[in-house]
Amino acid sequence: MQVNGNIYNPIKARLIDVIEESPSIKTFVLVPENEFSFKTGQFIELSVDGIGEAPFTPSSSPLVTEKLEVTVMKTGYVTEYMHMLKPGVFMGIRGPYGRGYPIETFYGKEVLILGGGCGLAPIRSLLFALESIKNKLVKVILCYGSKTPADCIYKPLFDRLNNTEKFEAYRTVDNADEEWDGSVGVATTLLNKIKINIKNSIAVVCGPPVMMKFGTIRLLEMGYKDDQIYLSMEKNMSCGLGKCGHCMMGEFFVCKDGPVFTYNEIKHNPEIWK
Amino acid sequence: MKLTIEELKSVRFFDNYTDEQLKIFIRISSIKEFNVKDILFEQYDELSEIYVLLTGCLSLGISLAKEKRIRLGTLEEGQLFSWSAVFSPHISTAWVMAGCPTKVLAIDAKKLIQEFDKNCEFGFKTMSKIAQTISHRLSDTRFQLMNQLTL
Amino acid sequence: MQYKSIKKEEWDKTIEQLLLSYTIFASVENEYGLDYELIKPADITKISYNKPKPATPLKSFFLPVKENVTSERVNEKPRIILGIPNCDIEGLCLLDDIYLDDEFNDIFYRNRRKNTLLISSDCIGIQEHCHCLSYNIKPYSENHADLAIINLDGTIVLRVLSIKGEDFIKGVPAFLSQENIDFIPVIEKEHLSTMTLLEKANIGLPDYKKTGELIKNAGNNIWEKYSVRCVSCGACTTICPTCTCFLLIDQPGFEKVKQLDACQYPGFERVAGGEDALFELHNRFKNRYMCKYVWKPKKFNSLACTGCGRCIEACIGKISKNEIFMELIK
Repeated sequence: MQVNGNIYNPIKARLIDVIEESPSIKTFVLVPENEFSFKTGQFIELSVDGIGEAPFTPSSSPLVTEKLEVTVMKTGYVTEYMHMLKPGVFMGIRGPYGRGYPIETFYGKEVLILGGGCGLAPIRSLLFALESIKNKLVKVILCYGSKTPADCIYKPLFDRLNNTEKFEAYRTVDNADEEWDGSVGVATTLLNKIKINIKNSIAVVCGPPVMMKFGTIRLLEMGYKDDQIYLSMEKNMSCGLGKCGHCMMGEFFVCKDGPVFTYNEIKHNPEIWK
Repeated sequence: MKLTIEELKSVRFFDNYTDEQLKIFIRISSIKEFNVKDILFEQYDELSEIYVLLTGCLSLGISLAKEKRIRLGTLEEGQLFSWSAVFSPHISTAWVMAGCPTKVLAIDAKKLIQEFDKNCEFGFKTMSKIAQTISHRLSDTRFQLMNQLTL
Repeated sequence: MQYKSIKKEEWDKTIEQLLLSYTIFASVENEYGLDYELIKPADITKISYNKPKPATPLKSFFLPVKENVTSERVNEKPRIILGIPNCDIEGLCLLDDIYLDDEFNDIFYRNRRKNTLLISSDCIGIQEHCHCLSYNIKPYSENHADLAIINLDGTIVLRVLSIKGEDFIKGVPAFLSQENIDFIPVIEKEHLSTMTLLEKANIGLPDYKKTGELIKNAGNNIWEKYSVRCVSCGACTTICPTCTCFLLIDQPGFEKVKQLDACQYPGFERVAGGEDALFELHNRFKNRYMCKYVWKPKKFNSLACTGCGRCIEACIGKISKNEIFMELIK
């Protein structure tokens, strides 16, 4: 959205709550001052006044427009400042930008979501969106892996999904502790567990770059076709407007042509798959 | 206790075998049951059977010392493990432990190899499946390692 | 095509009049060579015509190095840029594609474009590294500029190339009845002589259509060899008429400042976690060539390199893109 026809202007949003998901991850609950809505998979540029901005994919339901949830991991300069913010302050939002998940094309299909690490934030938003159209879907399966049990955020999500008709959710960890009694191994090991009709299925992969690569290779081996796999290729988005050049991935501007791509669209890019 | 052909067909590892080939497995295998914390085999044990997990939950890992077990993975229903039984020197690369009441199909490795000699097509199909199992295990392990080394 | 001619003295008087309602930048020779200067009445006779070419690329008039993009600017005095080489005019097409797209139209760029009259100057003669012709760009404008100017021994001849140019001419009394096509053969002769010089100087250079394949197939050894003298100073991207990558910097009050950036700078692709896909120099170096010759042409209809040769002149390490192409084409 544009403020007064100026594409660079942010809208202001009041921070009403900060939820600590883990020692390094917080979810910010924001109330935008202007009307704001997004499609699941799109991203926003969230700014701290006078400090900087960074791209995030909202983790809340796209059907809820009065407030917005953004999950932020503390990794650098801007996110460190964000983690110091207390409710009551204003943040800036530019967006929403990019191409989100085309969920209308998932009608009548089985949706397999393969997620890892920080990828659970955008996946959560996608799950809300899919829940709202579940009557049109055959089933939704989530296979998610985190490094350790503590790294898995939104823990109640898995129980809730397993109690929702047409939804199945599986978790695994790379590195188990004594108390963990679930699956151990990377997210792709969960693919050995599930029953899915690949011919009538869509796969969504979302997570760190290593996971995107391994996950896609495994899905292709399983029999998924190139245009059945959706990848969220978040890459250093900066202006969000297809202009500043920072997110260029081959001939694509990730901020405009993505961040959601089918494998078919980007399989020829050696930078990603070499 | 033996499985029927129909029951075997519903186990993932046995996809795409003919009924005749499934009969071979039935002839040379038996069902074994384990309780929580039962060790199926230790790392470095000599193995004479390959297993397919039918129901239950199994962890695998390596040991730094007898008491210090590092859990590295879990096995899913329908997956084959203990493949070292068909390759010399037949020594296990990991320990496997049951996490809950578990049933596995135990296939006599020596008898399986004798069947390969009689039926090359069956032998090739089976070894290809075992190779793929190992390949996936290796790829997942590398992925797991990469996760530890990178963000 | 409309041709208008006027004696140089009359033209100089016209410029003096125009200065009352326009800000005028024109190509002037100074101790370093040729570049644009903000013209005052005393400078009018110093204006240089048809000599290639001003050091500053045209993009600098539309994309300042640094600008506050939060506050909308009040309508500034309209301006004229006089003496633009055609390579820069063609380079503007890519900038239009990027900044005037339907979805995210840049209001600052749009206002400047609307507010600026572009008078392109036919090149008589060439500079050492000019190679526009190898990319099918002529050393004179036939479109995309508003007017094209040529000084033929004391007579200024203007070609009207756009509706804006036509409206401008209508508003200048001195041009009212000066239609003259006698100069066409003389002008064509000058054009031909410059093109002949270019053809000779550019022998062996691949045409634009071939550049993509050559760059895509170039081995790592090429990039390692030619990037050895690169110091990532960013001179090539700053001086290039089609390079426009930028940073958005936050300032208090949710203000944003847009500042030109360069893919040649280390850290261009560094992300918060510390990873940097272009950390290695030869990868950064290669990236710019891939962007200009492989990726941008796939994405946009306009050329991402106009053969102006400024990057070759500006490079501190004396790296020449044409040397790279000559080696690749062998």
